[in-house]
Amino acid sequence: MGSVMQVVFDAASLGSLYALGALGIALIFGVMRLVNFAHGDVIAACVFVLLWPSVDAVAIVFAGNLPWFLLVPFVLAMGAALSVASEVVVFRRFRNANPATMMIASFALGFVIRYFLLMLYSSRPKSISLLPTLSQPVEIMGARIPLLQVITIVVTIGVLFGLTSFLRRTRFGLEMRAAAENFTMARVLGVRANRVIMGAFALSGALAAAIALILGSQTGTANIVMGANVMLMAFIATVIGGMGSLAGAVIAGFLLGAIAVVMQVILPPDARAFRDAFVYGAVILVLIFRPQGLLTARGTKERV
Amino acid sequence: MAPRTQRRSVALRTISTPLILAALLVAFALVAWASGSRPFNQTVIDIFLQVIFVVGLYVFVGNSGVISFGHIAFACLGGYVAAWTTIKPMMKGISMPGLPDWLMQLEIPFWAAALAGGAFAAFWALVFGAVLMRLSGIAASIATFAMLAMVNSIYSNWESVTAATSSVVGIPILRVLWPYLVAAILAVFAAWAYSISRHGLALRAARDEPTAAAASGIDIPRARLIAFVISGAIMGAGGALYAHSIGLVTPDTYYLGLTFTTLSMLVVGGMSSLSGAVLGVLILSSLIQALRWLEAGIDIGTTTFALPGGVQEIALGVVMIAILMFRPAGIMGNKELTWPTGRGNDKPGEPGETN
Amino acid sequence: MSLLSLSNLTIRYGRLTAVRNVAFTLAEGEILFITGPNGAGKSSLLRAIAGVTPPAGGRIDFADHDITGRAPEDIARLGVSMVPEGREVFGSLTIEENLTVGTGMHAGEHGWRGRAADALEEIYATFPILKERRHTQAGLLSGGQQQMLVIGRALMTNPRLIAIDEPSLGLAPNITDQVYERLIALRAHRKLTLLIVEQSSTRAMMVGGRMILMRGGEVLLDGDARAMGQSEAMQAAYFGYGDH
Repeated sequence: MGSVMQVVFDAASLGSLYALGALGIALIFGVMRLVNFAHGDVIAACVFVLLWPSVDAVAIVFAGNLPWFLLVPFVLAMGAALSVASEVVVFRRFRNANPATMMIASFALGFVIRYFLLMLYSSRPKSISLLPTLSQPVEIMGARIPLLQVITIVVTIGVLFGLTSFLRRTRFGLEMRAAAENFTMARVLGVRANRVIMGAFALSGALAAAIALILGSQTGTANIVMGANVMLMAFIATVIGGMGSLAGAVIAGFLLGAIAVVMQVILPPDARAFRDAFVYGAVILVLIFRPQGLLTARGTKERV
Repeated sequence: MAPRTQRRSVALRTISTPLILAALLVAFALVAWASGSRPFNQTVIDIFLQVIFVVGLYVFVGNSGVISFGHIAFACLGGYVAAWTTIKPMMKGISMPGLPDWLMQLEIPFWAAALAGGAFAAFWALVFGAVLMRLSGIAASIATFAMLAMVNSIYSNWESVTAATSSVVGIPILRVLWPYLVAAILAVFAAWAYSISRHGLALRAARDEPTAAAASGIDIPRARLIAFVISGAIMGAGGALYAHSIGLVTPDTYYLGLTFTTLSMLVVGGMSSLSGAVLGVLILSSLIQALRWLEAGIDIGTTTFALPGGVQEIALGVVMIAILMFRPAGIMGNKELTWPTGRGNDKPGEPGETN
Repeated sequence: MSLLSLSNLTIRYGRLTAVRNVAFTLAEGEILFITGPNGAGKSSLLRAIAGVTPPAGGRIDFADHDITGRAPEDIARLGVSMVPEGREVFGSLTIEENLTVGTGMHAGEHGWRGRAADALEEIYATFPILKERRHTQAGLLSGGQQQMLVIGRALMTNPRLIAIDEPSLGLAPNITDQVYERLIALRAHRKLTLLIVEQSSTRAMMVGGRMILMRGGEVLLDGDARAMGQSEAMQAAYFGYGDH
């Protein structure tokens, strides 16, 4: 029983990470058909804002020393700010470009952010102690689960409910959903394009920051490539979820987390190192049978 | 006109493009050779290798219009083939004990390793492509990225045949630049020959007018797959030669960094132009070189590895974004280099605007 | 005093010129039909007025503002509401949500709900079927219901000018009658100015008002719809015989 619970919690917390990532990708894709390859580097940048720039192996913790109730909003705000800045400086100029051009631009932007971090902090992973109290285990139904896992899951569920009610009940959410479906028509009805897009970027950046906090506490390291894996899984989740569907992206994110954890359990020990390769393989198999993704969004057909 | 003679006339009309590009590469080689400078020689070798990668990528991206982030995976496959087939058996036994016996004993010359690397990569391109080419534009791009990550993850973990993340050393180093020159020229001609072939023309028609092309009976996934396999083969051969230029391989040699450089060169030059692919390499390589000189001070501080600092990559990224903003079709747009008196400077098959 | 005025308007798509040097004015409260065969440039004209396609040359003024090349949302704020060809409902949103999208610009977050509710009641009174199905996804509606929805949605922005592209497209004649009946009633009730694009001039002659006939991107005739219907010049222009 205990070990089953352990697997369930592992799957749910990994799935949470992927779901949060997929949501961040899908939000931006929805409003401007941009596949944002810079998302992973925004995640990494959110961890590094806690450190003072230095190329030493030892991290000089700076903002990371804030108490948690200041630290969390600080990181979220930094993520949102960085993401909005990328919109204002770069992506705004690509509004009329085709999706492929925007995608390459975001890939280039991701590299710029990554190497900017490298310049300030060097490429060596640094060990940090972020929210250390969260690594204590708690006992749930006979299983010893790290508190962080529980918090990850709870926070993700909270974010999902919050976002859903934001999208359903506020004017801004309504405008965002309308814009995601037909951007031009929404503008003809007076919806302000820049506001909606900046809102989507801010939300996406805050989600990236949430991932950064979880990853940072979980691994205890700051690494300039730490966002890459979550971003890749998030991409895959958005493809499986049917590009542009928020609900699809979230469900697919959890699904990927579950597959990865189950693989970890059932694969022979020698093959565990290849877990992610197996997950990609499984995804490719899925796509053979459902090239449009498992859950295709209605009304948001891809235009390529 | 019968199709065969028609094709011959297209070939005659467009042959000037690969000839000019080859002449350009030969000129670079001659300058390097005449200068007698070792570091400059190495730089030109890097440029030729990069020409192979960018031209290989162009064969797929340029003709199909689908962006691929995964082609460096094929270079990785090719690079490890070079490691498996050219390192002395004794050394292989230490670093990669899990190789099968026949492979362990094998020791072939570099050109054979390049061919084998190309064939191995082409095989896997066929396997991956059979699935990926069914996806539409953006989903396909993301899936190629997943393919890159998958290959990297396997090669970073398969201790017994790839030595995981440690460097596999002992690959015979090839310091003369002529083989690289020949390979780069071959890649250019292969790309040209493909682009004027029946398949190449059909694929570009499908890129520009997908609905019309599908209606006229072009099997788009199949046409894309053919381009994918050919470009995979070129990347594989390039990857093997790359291994011979530095004498070692690691999975991260062939990962995001190389992907970024290759893609940025293609984008800057012009994604749908073969001349653009080659010019993109020449221009950005010069920029990178200039930045390296600036980073190192006055001396020519060249190694083939990225220098610390990251300024190069940042500059490369900024150039790439600026080009995409102001000239999204790249420096060459849809045009090819041709003789000034040539009949049209458009590519065969009248490709339309890419954007 | 004209509400809308176009001068020398030219619209291009790449090398193709869709509208060439078009000029006309529209007074407050007027009803204007723009008719003409396929490819006459009627839809392009509407799209330029709404800011969706910036014109290549010329000038558009609305209510004393130069709106040439302004963003669609700014033009909407001044009181222009366009209903595009093909209706373009937000298929995954409910009817009520579709109607509410356009109300955002008139109030802050707090006043928004109240104002939206009043406006909704008014639209529901005009189109009872929409009230009945208010929580249905718009994508599931029939063509006629969608047409009513997009007209209602355009009205929700409280416009001074409503520009509709082919309201009869794909609708059965009796449904078209209903749609027009409501439009005429609304015009009288709200002092709306109407700009309606239709391919055929039949409807214009039935309803009356002013009519502009376009062909090949240019204005051929401009006058009273009913009077024009009798004229031979119009027949010639429309069907392209004579010296065209």
